[in-house]
Amino acid sequence: MTRFVRSQKEMEGRYEDVWVLVDETDDVETWAPDADLALVGRPAPRLDGAARAAGRVRFTVDVRLAGMLHAAVLRSPAAHGRVRSLDLDAARAVPGVRAVIGPESDLSLTTRAPLLAAEPAYAGQPIAVVAADTLEAARRGVAALALDLEVLAHVVGLQEGLHEQSFTTDPTDDSRGDAETALAAAEVTIEFALDTPAQVQTPLEPHSAVASWDGDNLTAWVSTQGMFSARDELVRAFGLRKDDVRVRTEYVGGGFGAKQGAGFEALAAAELSRITGRPVRLVNDRHAEQLDGGRRAATRQTVRLGARLDGTITAIDVDAVIAMGQGGWVFPVLIPARTLYRCADVRALSFPVKTNLRAQNAFRAPGVMEGTAAFEQAIDELALALDLDPLELRRRNHADVDQVSGLPYSSKQLLACYDRAAELAGWAGREELRTPRGDGLLRGMGCATQIWWGGGGPPSHATVRLDADGYASVITGIQDIGTGTLTTAQIIAAEELGLPLSHVRVVGGDTRPNVYGPVSGGSQTTPSVMPAVRSASAKVRKTLLQLAGDVFEIAAGDLVISDGRIRSNDGAIDVDVTEVTGKLGDATIDGSGSRGPNPDGYVVNTFGCQIAQVAVDPALGEVRVERIVAVHDVGRIVNPLAASSQVEGGILQGMAFALSEELVVDPTTGVPVNAHLDDYKIPTIADVPEIVIDYPNVPDANLPNVGSKGLGEPPIVPTAAAIANAFAHATGRRAAALPLTRDRVLEVLA
Amino acid sequence: MTIALEINGQAYVVEPAGRRLLAVLRDDLELLGTKLACGEGACGACAVLVDGRPVNSCLLLAEAAEGHEIVTIEGLSTGRATAIQEAFVAEDALQCGFCTPGQIVSATVLLERVPHPTHEQIHEAMAGNLCRCGAYPKIERAILRAAGDA
Repeated sequence: MTRFVRSQKEMEGRYEDVWVLVDETDDVETWAPDADLALVGRPAPRLDGAARAAGRVRFTVDVRLAGMLHAAVLRSPAAHGRVRSLDLDAARAVPGVRAVIGPESDLSLTTRAPLLAAEPAYAGQPIAVVAADTLEAARRGVAALALDLEVLAHVVGLQEGLHEQSFTTDPTDDSRGDAETALAAAEVTIEFALDTPAQVQTPLEPHSAVASWDGDNLTAWVSTQGMFSARDELVRAFGLRKDDVRVRTEYVGGGFGAKQGAGFEALAAAELSRITGRPVRLVNDRHAEQLDGGRRAATRQTVRLGARLDGTITAIDVDAVIAMGQGGWVFPVLIPARTLYRCADVRALSFPVKTNLRAQNAFRAPGVMEGTAAFEQAIDELALALDLDPLELRRRNHADVDQVSGLPYSSKQLLACYDRAAELAGWAGREELRTPRGDGLLRGMGCATQIWWGGGGPPSHATVRLDADGYASVITGIQDIGTGTLTTAQIIAAEELGLPLSHVRVVGGDTRPNVYGPVSGGSQTTPSVMPAVRSASAKVRKTLLQLAGDVFEIAAGDLVISDGRIRSNDGAIDVDVTEVTGKLGDATIDGSGSRGPNPDGYVVNTFGCQIAQVAVDPALGEVRVERIVAVHDVGRIVNPLAASSQVEGGILQGMAFALSEELVVDPTTGVPVNAHLDDYKIPTIADVPEIVIDYPNVPDANLPNVGSKGLGEPPIVPTAAAIANAFAHATGRRAAALPLTRDRVLEVLA
Repeated sequence: MTIALEINGQAYVVEPAGRRLLAVLRDDLELLGTKLACGEGACGACAVLVDGRPVNSCLLLAEAAEGHEIVTIEGLSTGRATAIQEAFVAEDALQCGFCTPGQIVSATVLLERVPHPTHEQIHEAMAGNLCRCGAYPKIERAILRAAGDA
C-alpha cells in the first residue's frame, strides 16, 4: 500500500520536514555485512565508459539543432556600476542578430531575481544577451551595444566588508554551553587564525544550455547537477506545468557543486528561444565561467581552544567571516568545530559579509571543507601545546553522539579509520620522517579528521522493466555528472535481479519519464537512489519467480535466480531466465520502488581520516605532497573502482586548495585577475601524489536496504588540513593563510 | 575563401573565415568529440593530431592546417576501441569524460613515441591535458596498462 509519511530531508546539513510517498511493500532487508554478493562490492567499469573514451557522448555544449541560434552575453566589466546607456537597437541592426534583451526588456519569464542587471554588482554579471545565427554575429551584436557604465564604489575585501557591517543575512550564533568560562578555566589554551582562499569549481564543460520550444512545450538541454530542479525552475519562470517542460542532462562535463538548477543560462536561452521561435544555445566562455560560474567563498576563521592537560577539550570558541559575494546559502563553515569532538562549551559565530563578487555557491563539501582546514590545524596546535600525538588527541576527544542534537549516529567507524590510516601511512615512524635525507627537503606528516553528512533520503524513485530477452532497463532520475552513479544503479539492479551486469541497462539524464531523483550534490545520490533501485528490482524478481513457478509448476519460494539462471533449491531446475521471460512476448515485467525515510532518532554522517606526507623545499618554497592516505567510513562500498575515483578526485581538489588555487581579486578594481585557466592553477598529472585508499566498508544497518552512505564530498574535506599539518610538522611553522604558494611559504620560513 | 582539409583520411572543403581549427571541426563538420574547454590553449581538451603531433586546435588557425594530416578523436575511434581507450575504461581513467578525448589523443602520441614510458615521461607528455575530476592517477595507470607495463 502507498502511504504518505512525514520525514526529514537533509541536503548539505540543511534539514527540511517533508511529506514522503512510501510504498509499504518496499521492505527489502539490508544485505548482511557478510552476505555473499555476486556484484556489489566488486569493481565494475562504468557502463558508458567506452562511449566517453571514444568522444561519442553528447554533452550540452554538443547539442546541435536545426535553425539553432547562438547567444552571447554582455557582462559587467566592473565590480559595481550603473548602466548609463546601452544601444539595443544598434545590436539588433547587426546582420544575423535575431534578438537582443537587456535590463529594461519586457520578458515573458518571471524569476525571483532580475535576469539582467541595470546596476551590476560584480564583474561578470550579465547585462544583456544577444542571439544570432552564428556566435560571431552574436559577439558583434554585443560589441554594438556600446555599453556605457558608470563605475560605482565596491567592496571585495573581507575586512572591509566586516568593517562596513554589510551582511547578506544576519550573523548567526550557534553556541552551546559557556565557552568563555570554560576557556578561562582551561589548563591549556591555543589560538589559531586562518584565511582560506576563494576556490573556483572550474568544470571543464562550462555552464551551458540549449532551449527549444514546441508550442507551449519547452525542451531544455542543461549542463546541471539537478535536472528536476532545472525543470521546476523553468516551470515557475514561464508559468507552465511540470509536464510541459523536459530537461535533458545525459552527460555533464563536471559540476562540483557549481551547476544547480536551470541557472541563468537555461533561463536566458529559453527566453530568447521564446522570442525568436528558434532553438537557442548559450554557453559560457572560459572567462565568463571563471567569473560567474561560482566559487567557494573566501573565509577568515579564528579558533580558540581550551583543554585539560590530559588532552580533554573543554572549550571551543570559533568565528568565521565569510566573503559571500552578493548572497547565496551560508554554508556551514563551523560544523567541524561544532561536531567533530566531544565538547559541551562551544561558541560559534558566523558573519556572512556582502561583497561585490558573484553570490558564492556550492563547491564540493561547501563550508565544511574550509572549516576543517582551519579547525583541524587548530587541533594540531593544541596537540603541540599538550605535547600529545595529534591522532591520540583526536581519539581521546572522539564524539560518541552528535554534539549538536545529542542523538546517536546511525553508524560511526571513525576510530577504525584512524587506526587503519595510521597503519597505512606509517604514522609510528612519523618522527623519523623528519631526519634529513641529504636532498635538502624538509619532510613531515599530518592528519585530519573528516565529518560530512551523506545519508541521503527520500524522495527518490526507480522503475525496472524486464523484457522477453531477459534484459532489464532501470529508469532513474540520476544525472551522472561523472561520479559513475548510473553504474552503481546497474550493479544494485543486477545483484537484486540475479542478472549479469551486461543484461542491465540504466537510463538517466531525462526528466520526461518523470522518475524523480535528487540533485547530484550533498553526497546523496547513492544513499537516496540505490534503495529505490533495489526495491524496484526486488519486485521484478518476485514477479519473475512467480511466473517461473507457473511455468515449472513449483512454488516460487523454492526458486532462486542468479547470474541469469533460475534454479530450484532441490537442483532439479537450472534454466536460463529466457525460459521464462521468453514467454512474455512483447509484454514486460515492471516494478517501481521508492526510497523510504531515514530512521528516526539517528543522525547520519560520514567520517574519515586522511594522513598527508609532504616534502618542503625551503630554498624554493615548494611544497610537494608525496603521499596521502585516505580512509573513509561511507558504509557499504558498492563499486570500489568508482569509489576510488571519487576519493582521488576529492583529494586532488583539496590538495589544490591547500597549495595552488585561489581566485585573486584586485582590491583597486574589484575585478578577479586570474579568471582564466592559464593563471588559475588547478592540478596537472605531474602534481599527483601517491594516494592510498581504504574503507572500513561496514554497511550502515540503519539506512534502508543497501547500507551505503555518500562518497562525493567526504574525500575533499580533510585533505587541505592534513597537508597544512604535515607542512607544520615538516617546518615547525604554520602559515596564516592558504594556499601554500611559494611566496607565502618563503615568507613563513623566513 | 575556401580551403581543403584532410581530416581522419577524408577530404573536406571548408570556409574558415579566420576561425580556429576547433571551430571548423565542431561547428561546420560536427566532429563534436573534440572539446572546447578554455579556448586559451591551457587545458588540452581540444587536442587533435596534426601530422602525428598533438596540437591544441583552439589556437590553430584553420588555414594553417591546410596541407596537413589531421586526426581527431573520431579518427582514433573508428571500428573497435584502441588499446588506450580500453585501458581508460578498465582503469576508470575518466569521470565526467569531457577532457577524455584530449587525454586519449595525447596518450596515443606518447605511446607511439615511447612504447614503454616512465612515470616522468607520462607526466611530461600529459601535463598539458587538464582533468578537473582528478582522474590523473588512473590515467597514468591506463597508459601503463596500454603499454603492457601494468
